[in-house]
Parts: sequence; C-alpha cells; structure tokens
Amino acid sequence: MKKLGMTGLTLALLLTACGEENTVDETEETAEEPVQEEIETGPVTLKDGMGREVEIPEDPENIIASYLEDYLVALDVTPAAQWSISDGAGVQNYLQEELGDVPTIPYDLPYESVLEFSPDLLILRDQPEEDMVSQYAQIAPTYVLESQPTDWRGTLTEIGEVLGEETKAEEVIDAYDQEATEARDLVSENAEGESAAAVWMVDTSLFVVHPERSSGAVLYGDAGFEVPEVVSDLSGDADWAAVSLEELAQMDVDRLFFISDNGEEALTEDRLWQNIPAVENDQVHVFASDSAWLYYGPTANEQVLGHIEDSIAND
Amino acid sequence: MEMRNQKSAGRYTRQSKRTIKLFLFLVGVLLVMFFVSMGAGHLTLSLIDIFKTLIGSGTDSHALLLFQFRIPRLLVAVLVGIGMGVAGAVFQGITQNELADPGIIGIHSGSGLFVVMFLYLTSLYEGSQPWCTQLSLPFVAFIGGITAALMIYILAWKSGVTPVRLILVGIGLNAGFSALLLLVQLKMSDSDFNRALVWLSGSIWNASWQSVWSLLPWILIFLPLTLYKARILAVMQLGEEMALGLGTRVEKEKFLLLIIGVAMAAASVAVAGGIAFLGLVAPHLSRRLVGGKFLRLIPITAVVGAILMVVSDTLARTLLAPAEIPVGLIVSVLGAPYFIYLLMTIKD
Amino acid sequence: MMDEIRRKQLTDKDIQKRLMRRLSHSHPTAWIFFTSGVILFLLMLLSLRFGAAELTWEMIGEAIWNFDATDTAHVILVDLRIPRVLAAAVVGASLAVSGVIMQALTLNPLASPSIMGVTSGSAFMIALGFALFPQLSHYQLIFWSFTGAALGAGMVFSIGFFTQRGLTPVKLALAGSAVSALLQSLSTMIAIHFDVARDMSFWYAGGVAGVRIESVTVIALIGIIGLFASLTLSRSLTILSLGEEMARGLGLRIGWIKLISLLIVLVLTGAAVSIAGAVGFIGLVIPHMTKKIVGLDYRWVLPISALFGASLLVLADIGARVINPPYETPVGTLTALIGVPFFLFLARKGGRGWK
Repeated sequence: MKKLGMTGLTLALLLTACGEENTVDETEETAEEPVQEEIETGPVTLKDGMGREVEIPEDPENIIASYLEDYLVALDVTPAAQWSISDGAGVQNYLQEELGDVPTIPYDLPYESVLEFSPDLLILRDQPEEDMVSQYAQIAPTYVLESQPTDWRGTLTEIGEVLGEETKAEEVIDAYDQEATEARDLVSENAEGESAAAVWMVDTSLFVVHPERSSGAVLYGDAGFEVPEVVSDLSGDADWAAVSLEELAQMDVDRLFFISDNGEEALTEDRLWQNIPAVENDQVHVFASDSAWLYYGPTANEQVLGHIEDSIAND
Repeated sequence: MEMRNQKSAGRYTRQSKRTIKLFLFLVGVLLVMFFVSMGAGHLTLSLIDIFKTLIGSGTDSHALLLFQFRIPRLLVAVLVGIGMGVAGAVFQGITQNELADPGIIGIHSGSGLFVVMFLYLTSLYEGSQPWCTQLSLPFVAFIGGITAALMIYILAWKSGVTPVRLILVGIGLNAGFSALLLLVQLKMSDSDFNRALVWLSGSIWNASWQSVWSLLPWILIFLPLTLYKARILAVMQLGEEMALGLGTRVEKEKFLLLIIGVAMAAASVAVAGGIAFLGLVAPHLSRRLVGGKFLRLIPITAVVGAILMVVSDTLARTLLAPAEIPVGLIVSVLGAPYFIYLLMTIKD
Repeated sequence: MMDEIRRKQLTDKDIQKRLMRRLSHSHPTAWIFFTSGVILFLLMLLSLRFGAAELTWEMIGEAIWNFDATDTAHVILVDLRIPRVLAAAVVGASLAVSGVIMQALTLNPLASPSIMGVTSGSAFMIALGFALFPQLSHYQLIFWSFTGAALGAGMVFSIGFFTQRGLTPVKLALAGSAVSALLQSLSTMIAIHFDVARDMSFWYAGGVAGVRIESVTVIALIGIIGLFASLTLSRSLTILSLGEEMARGLGLRIGWIKLISLLIVLVLTGAAVSIAGAVGFIGLVIPHMTKKIVGLDYRWVLPISALFGASLLVLADIGARVINPPYETPVGTLTALIGVPFFLFLARKGGRGWK
C-alpha cells in the first residue's frame, strides 16, 4: 500500500510539474506579442504558435499545408501536395475543382513522403508534438499555426501573414462577410426565427454540429438560424457531437441539413424521424458526406452558405 | 526445467567460446540488416548512396534522410528490441514459465493505461509543454508497469506465487487494463484518439534522436544490471526450493529482477508503444541457440530482439509504402503464430 | 461409481437417468428458474424507462395499449427502447449459453466466447467486411460474423487438438490471448489503413444502443433456435461434463455431440457479436454462477444461465445509459469491469473452477 501511495504521489508530482511549467510559459507567451520584422524583400522571420522563430523563405513555391488546403485555395496558392487518407483514395472532394492535379500525401505526413516533395515551407496545425516539429523543420522551414483550428478567420489571417498575402486574406474575409450578410438577409426575409440543425450520419451513428464550429458557425453565426436545444445541450469539445436516435427523434427543429451518403431512405421510411417538424414540413436538405459541410475554412464556408441559400430559394 | 550438470570445465569453456562466436555472428547479421534497412522505405537508397552519404559525400537530402530519419529510427528499433527481448527473458526467469510475455500478462497495458491517462490529463492544460511530457513518459510508463506488476504479484499471492496463477492473473488484469484504456480513449478527441491508437499498437515511425536519448540511459543502466543478476536468475532456474537451499533470498531477488524487467519493458513501451510477443519470441529463439543458461542467454536475446525489431520495422515501412503500418502489428502477426507453435509443443 | 455401474449391469439409459438424478440438486430448482425469469422481466421493464428521452411509466403504458405513431415518445419506446432491451436479453442469453456449452465440452473452467477467440474472430471478419464492402446489410454482417466466430474458435480448437494431452486452463487462456492478439492486430491494421478505426473501436467495446427491430428479429430467431437446440443436448452435456471416458462408457456418441454443440456455439456467439460487438466475460461469469447455484444438471443449467446472462446484460445496458448521460458508456467495458475480478478469482484458484 505504501508503495502504491508512493507511485501515486510521484505521478501527481509529474503532473503538477508539467502543469506549473505551462502556467509560467503561458504568461511569458502572452507577454510577448508575435514579432514581425518589417522587411519588404528577403526572408521574413516570424514567431510561430510554439514560440519558435521560423524563417519564411521569400517566395515559397512548394508549400505543404496538410488539411489547410482550403485556406491556400482561398488565397489562390496551389500547394505541392494535398491531404489524403487510404493511399490517396480519400481527398477533400469539395476542393477538387482547384486541387484536381495536386498529388496526394498521407494524412499523418510521414517524413519520407514529405521529403519526397522537397517542400520549401511546411505549415502545421493543431499543436503537433514538438519532437515531430523539429524533425519536419530539418526538411523545410516549419511554421506551426498559433490560431485555434476552430477559428477560421484567425487561421486565414495568420496564413496570409506567413505567405505575405495579408491583403488578399483581408479581401477574402470581406467578400465572405458580404456574402454572409446577404444570406442572413435572405434567411430573415424567408425563414424568420426558424431553427435549423446539421445532422451527419455515418452508418448508424448520428452527429450534430457544434454551434460555433465548422458548418455550425456558418449555419448559426453567419446565416442566423436559431440553435435548437439538443444542439446547445450537446456542444462539448468535439466539432460534431454524437447524438442518440432518441434525442434526435425529439428534436424540435424547422430545417434539417442532413449529411449522409445513404441515409435518405432512413429519413423517408423510418417513422422515428417523421415527428420532427423539419421532416413533417418537408424541410430536409441532403448533402453528400464529402461536401463542404464537414470541413473548415473560407472555401468550405462559402460553399455551405451557397447550400443554405439554395435551400431557401427552393422553398 | 531440467538441470544439466556441467561435467567438465572443458565443456564449459567450449560452450562459452561457441556462444561468443554466435554472438559475434549475430551482431554481424544485425549490422547487415541495419544496412539493408537504411536503404529501404518510401524513398529507396542504393548501397552506393548509403556509403557515399555515410562518408559525407552524398547529397544533402540523402544525408537528411539517413542521419535524421532512418538512423535514429533504426537505433530506436535496436534499443526497443534489446529492452523488450531482455525484459521478456527476465519475466520468464522470474515466473519460471516460458510463455510469460510482458504484453500478455498486462505489463504493457498497465504502462499504456498510465501513459494515455497522463497524456489525456496534460492535454487538459491549455498549451501543454511537450518537452516536459516527452521526458516524463518513460517514468510514467515505468510507474504504470510497476503498478501492473505489483497488482499481478499481490493478486496471485496465496501462500506463495505459482507460475500458473501468475500468468492467469496477468491475463485477467490485461483485460481489465484494456477496458479502462478504452474508456479513457473514448473520452479523447478524434485526432488524439487516432494518435493513441497508433501509439498503443506499437509504432516508431516518428522516432528521432530525442527518442534515442530518452531510451538509451534506461537500457545502458538496466542491461548490465540484468547481466549482473543473471547468476541469480540461473539459480532460480533450478527451482525455488533449490534456490532457498542455496541460501538466496529468493523473494527479494525476484522483486529486484521484476523491477529491472519492468523498467526495460516500460521504457521501451514509452517510446514505441505496446509491442507484444517480442519479449517472448526473442528469448525463445535464443534459448534454441544457446540453451537456457542466463549468462549466455541474455546477450544473445538482446541481439536477436534487436534483429527482429529491425526486420519488422523494415517491413512496417515498406509493405504499404508510403503509408506506415505500426511495427507492433507486424511483430504480433509474426510472433503470435510462433507463440502458438510453442504452446503446442511445450511440455508442462 | 464405475464399479457400481458394472456390477449392476444396467442398460445405458437407466444409468444415464440415475446419474442425472444424483446430479440434480435436491432444492427446488424450478423456483430458481421462475424467480430469475421474474427478475429478468422486471429488469427489462426498468430498462424501458431509462434513456436520453424522458419517459414516464404512464407514457410506457399508453404506448403499449394505445399506440400513436405521431407521438414521438411512443415511437421512441416501440422503435428504440423495446428492440434495445430485447437485443440485450438475447445477446446476454446467447453468450451465457455458449459459455456453458464450451465449458462442458472442453472440461475447462476458463472456456468462454471471449477467451476462446470467438469474439475477436468475429470482430476481425466484420472489420474485413466493412473495409471491403462498406455498405453491409444486417444479414451480410451476421454472415461475416459467423465466419469470423468459426475462424477464431477453429484456431483455438485446432491448437487444442494438436497439443499433446490437450489444453490446460493456462494454455487455453494463453492460446486464446495469442489468437485474439493476432486477429486484433490484423483488424487494427485494416482499421487504420481504411480509416475506420474509431467506428471499429466503439464496436470493440460493444453495445446495443441504436439496435433496430429488423436486426433484433433475426438474431432473436437464431438465438431461440440455438437455445432450444442446446436444451436437446442438455442430458449429453451433463454426462460429457463428467469426463469423456465416462461418457463413452455410457454409450454417448461423443463426436456427434461435440460437432453439434460447436455449431450451436458458433451460431449463438456469431449472432450475438454481430449485433452487440465484443461483450466479454458474460460467457465466463454466468456459467460458473449458475452451476454454483443449481448444480451440474444441464437441463437446468442451460435455461437458468440463459436467464441470468440476459439479466446481467440488460442490467449492464441500463448502467451504460445512466452512468454518464447523455453519453453512452460502452457496455463491453462494464461487463469487463464486472468480469475481470471474477476471472482473477478463478485465476487465484489456478483456473481449477469454483468448487
């Protein structure tokens, strides 16, 4: 028992040690604003999300920014390789108009695959392990984003800074906001006070979108639909929260955006769905699971806005 | 296990010489495998390329590939092979059961559970400090492994510990830890979940010099200790009653050896994840080569373990290139049939 | 006992009957059967009440006597809760009965579906099925699951067959672990490669949430047929559980009985796993408990362990819903947390059973 107590104590010590380091570092980080040297030409040095000084090459041509392709497309930059799963069989389909010719790279970015493309700039997201970042940094300058992946505006602005495309980034955001306002007007004219939900179905599992993330931010934040109770109750840590059929059947929602590859039958035939107001009033709009709804970024959001506008126009 | 008297000193030295020759031969094999493996992967290098790069006249990208990616990775494979192989030999010595694999009796899942919980808890702190986490991992894994080992020992204790009870209790605890592990994993975000899954399956694809440095001290300290204690293991091989008669304080020595074994297994788990069956196959193959005397068995097991890991890692890198298969899965797929074969042929 | 038998020169049938009488407990087993039936029924009722949607007893009564398809609560009860509780009961009963048969066949107290590699075999084939044909239907899923159950069990049994002097409890547990490790490695490879890891993993933990009536009817049918088939074997199993020599001496056709029992085991576990995933330890815990309570007469052990198994899984499924709402806790981890201490208890006895 004594020994178990000791091990417990040691563990607690290790945990608190790491915890304390964090708090100290955090204050340091917040004290130092990201420094940007104002040099018009030549390489720029930026401080990235992990507090590293990264020297960005002058005119990067071979950029790998896996799962950030959306932002590059918005900034009219073509990456050297694009994110993929299952040996290149699965890509971000909604971007293929722009990325059709770009070769694929596995989603977990094996070092050797990265090396193969001899990139001159790597942009990583979502706080990778430090160990891995220093390995990537030996292949090419590696910039880890400071913005949270859930904040697309911040991410776009930051990528714009890294690529020297600040003005373009601003333009993109302005253009998007313009379109969002139009969509919001359309919604308030035709669907005043309606609630909506995006439901994603994989096999038999169901998920609802977080009200402030991914297409949820567009649906509620930009287009201005009301958030149904189920969605706000479940909004936790994940972009898409698992929802049971029981909760779904009780959902009081006027408009349903249903993301699924084979679920239309379920909707029309299954009587569990029939008492949802959106289904009763025939306000269900179905999209494929490779459409923009499951993604982040200006390009995805713009497409989602388009889908929302279409759904209203078809009323 | 049967005791064989060494009838004459002459035979003894002859066997030692044979062991040394075999050891050198196996080291040679390991070096060859190491070389071959340096060239294999998504980007292939010819032997000439490797040679050029090694003497410093290759291209920059070749140098980067070799010195920063492949060599540290291979070194980690070698170290993990040594650690897990020798740990397996030690466990089999303690339990006097040739089928005691640290993976099967729950040492790995104990370490894994603690590591995953630690990662989960640190991830709750905003902007966690990666270097701190990285350095603590072997210790956390060690604590997890020791906890598992102690629990197995305590639960199997009933006026003494029999090998059979030890293994059965271990299998049961393994199932329990795995269930808890799954509960923690399901609480994680999608990307963390995948990361944990790949790590738990045993993977060294992102090994770097830092992983080498975090594992090396553990092996450097505990491998010589094992050799030093090998004599005691050898006495224990004679059976516990005999050992008692010889005046060895069996339980205490057993406990020390247990800590050594867990330390090597856990440090390897912290770097490479749960690689099952390695701790079983390596000692067994070695026993076939040099017999069961631990003083000979331990060094041979170390090299055989290293060879197995290097071969498995080469397969992991090339079979589905550019995608990687976690090396632990390869080891399992190769090791499980061997284990089953042993199970069928072994005497009670 | 053998001497006595030889001396009296009775016919096989007579001896079998006498033996059965000796093995039956004297206390009223029928009462245990009846009580456990009532307990199962009450647990199933209770299970209807709990879940994400708030249902009251009145609503449940209303839904049963006066069903209204436009009332969401009614639809939830009839389309979700009832299938779910039925699935839990059938799966629990099937696993428990499989465990009973396996332990009787192998004379091994640790024999049970999860330890014999049956569940990981099913899981492996289902992973393969998902990877190759993403749009598997219920029937195809069950078929893949059977094949997998047969694969896993076949591997462990052939290890036993090729091992001199058969598998001791330790060797069986080790063989099962090795086969499970092998099959799980292969499933994980498939899962990682085809990026279905997370779906598979909840499945590995097991659960009956979201089960629909179509799949319940299929496995309920299979389960009931399997349970009745096992009852016809109950007398033979009782005698077989005393040892092969005695069974052979009493004129039992061992080969046939083993083959049929094995088929029943595969069908029952295959169906159970295909619907609920890997739910471990029920097939280990329940048979031992039942035998402790009702003795060694399999005419009672089989039906009562079916009831016990069903009750345990229905209870665990209630737990899965109420422990961490609105999220579901995987039922497999709950049964593991109940089962592991029990396994450890058996292990402390060196795997010699609960006597």
